Amino acid sequence: MMKKTIKVLLAKLGLDIHNRGVLFVAKNLRDAGMEVIYIGNSTPQQIINSAIQEDADVVGVSSLGGAHLILGEKLISLAKKEHIKEDRIYLMGGAVPEEDMKKLERAGFDAIFTSGAASKEIVSSIENLVKEL
Amino acid sequence: MAEGKKTLKEIINKIPQDKRQTLFDGKALDLIKEGTIKWKEESLKEGDRKNWKVTPGTTLGSEIPRNLIYTPLDTPDLDYRRDLGNSGQEPFTRGVHPNMYRGKKFTMRQINGFGGPEDTNKRLKFMLDSGATGLSVIFDLPTTQMYDSDDPISSGQVGTSGVAIDSTRDMEILFDAIPLEEVTVSIVTHFPSNTAILFPMFLAAAEKRGISFDRLGGTVQNDTTMEEVVRSGPEYLPPKDVFRIQCDNNEYIRQNIPRWNFTTFNGYNLREFGTSSVTEIAIAFANAMETLENLSSRGHDIDFIAKRLAFFWSISNDFFDEAARIRAARRLWSRIMKYKFGAKDPRSQWMRCHVQTSGLTLTRQEPLNNIVRASYQALASVLGGAQSLHVSSYDEAYAVPTEEAALLSLRTQQIIQAETAVTEVVDPLGGSYYVEALTDEIEKRIIDELSQIEAQGGYVKAIERGWLHRKVATYFQTEQAKMESGEIPIVGLNCYKSGRKEAPIDVFSYPEEAEKRQLDKLARLKDERDSKKAQRALKTLEDACKSDTNIVPYSLECARAGCSEGEIFKVFKSAYGLWNPPEVF
Repeated sequence: MMKKTIKVLLAKLGLDIHNRGVLFVAKNLRDAGMEVIYIGNSTPQQIINSAIQEDADVVGVSSLGGAHLILGEKLISLAKKEHIKEDRIYLMGGAVPEEDMKKLERAGFDAIFTSGAASKEIVSSIENLVKEL
Repeated sequence: MAEGKKTLKEIINKIPQDKRQTLFDGKALDLIKEGTIKWKEESLKEGDRKNWKVTPGTTLGSEIPRNLIYTPLDTPDLDYRRDLGNSGQEPFTRGVHPNMYRGKKFTMRQINGFGGPEDTNKRLKFMLDSGATGLSVIFDLPTTQMYDSDDPISSGQVGTSGVAIDSTRDMEILFDAIPLEEVTVSIVTHFPSNTAILFPMFLAAAEKRGISFDRLGGTVQNDTTMEEVVRSGPEYLPPKDVFRIQCDNNEYIRQNIPRWNFTTFNGYNLREFGTSSVTEIAIAFANAMETLENLSSRGHDIDFIAKRLAFFWSISNDFFDEAARIRAARRLWSRIMKYKFGAKDPRSQWMRCHVQTSGLTLTRQEPLNNIVRASYQALASVLGGAQSLHVSSYDEAYAVPTEEAALLSLRTQQIIQAETAVTEVVDPLGGSYYVEALTDEIEKRIIDELSQIEAQGGYVKAIERGWLHRKVATYFQTEQAKMESGEIPIVGLNCYKSGRKEAPIDVFSYPEEAEKRQLDKLARLKDERDSKKAQRALKTLEDACKSDTNIVPYSLECARAGCSEGEIFKVFKSAYGLWNPPEVF
């Protein structure tokens, strides 16, 4: 059986302005053979709607503006409400302090990548997480 | 305009060459050449000869290849009076003021902004009490993107990354008890559109305190590149309209607030997003030139307009490249102003700049290393002759700086200014064979890039066509890969990794309640204001947007009438429509 292509939905979480990181990750995931949809700046509700519509395996959000905690937790709670939390992977990338990383993991994010994370590490982490789904 | 129809290259190449006096005579150069050939053969190893030119791998560097050693052979045509001059003399390579830092020290201007205006007001006072000589204010995500705090899109983000401002009332709180007649304020509005909203709120707030406009000093950013290319955001206005708003801001401010620098042409954020040190200057100059052409076509005298221009550069790790770059930009700008625009007032030829040390070079790993990086970057800026400086803080890969980290950045500047004596002598790197050769090469490369922009119809066209978006995306994809592979060495990240567990650093946390406070104030404002007057002001602004009159006086009326930022942005969207920027992924 052919290996299923991993489908990744990427977004800027909320109004954050910085997108160099997420565009770099998007290209690297695509180069690694994944299907990548980038929807730009979106609210948690818009991201969840797109995840359902696109039937994405992985939802990755980027936040460097300091709103990661409130919007991240909102995203996960909306995912639970729509019953798409358990069958998908949720990732965050950006400028997130250590303490908040723990909080986001507790909230339900599968992995958090901060400044300096290597793209290979992100690719293999996604592949492993999807396998375990 | 003196030479409007010729290309920039034609103008620069046509600068009068008579009375040229090169520093080195031909015979001396011949002897140096002969000696150098011999030295290469006798003293250098094969490997050194082969690797004579090396291109350093540095974050956001110029990628100009470097020789093993520089000699007069690398600047054989150097003419002191024509290419350098003393400080305060054309072409201002060595500095815009004759006595440079002895006369006017660089302004220590650290950027601040978080929470509500009440929170940032306290931080501004703390910075002034600690010896800061200028203020700089940055706005939160909703304010920057032009949404009110109570817009659903702003939820959870009020007061993050900057200070929340919804109306003139917030502006009054932000600058409460700060002597606006004495201290200059950089209002980092970033975009033309939010400049046209927030700066009138600042003016209306000053007015309420009885401060007349001619006593205000400072700068706004007001930069089309920022609004259309650098930022990621949900809604964009079309480039030609944003550029028109930029020029409206310029015109209004120049005519009404005489001490205000009406635009800081911003290279910084474009470069941090992804361009080389050369492209950074080329794009900002292209924008500045197109702005001058626009204002001149509105009938303004070039010398009246040009004397209040300022630029904003990023300063990264390639030490001599950075210092040389500021010199090259100063010389080229002087030549452009004199020979392309026919400026007569020497002041119009000044390339004055604020610089900020590079945020992209800061690492999350071993954050204290960032203090060292920023210090070298700050020193390069001062050796290059910058007018004002922001040193980025070591904790910025985690969050906005803590008070301690912000103070340390200010102290870094104070140590350079008070302890190292580098400010005692003007342009200390001038005359170095290496720095002069780099300065020449950088100037040449900026002209080449400006010519590429010119060839496709100018700055706004280059944005409309997606050329600039694609250039940036290609650059940062390649560069980021080099940062990962170690081709660009980064200590603690891709080389000299320690592997030891790092001690946690204090990280800033945002004040709670800022969002609630903003919502309460907005509700109160809308309840208390004369709502008919506010609606009338918005309607009049929309009419102005659709005509070719300057919109700023009408936006000022909106600010006075208590309109909110989001309401004014809605007017812009209704008048101009939205634009889809080119996709770069």
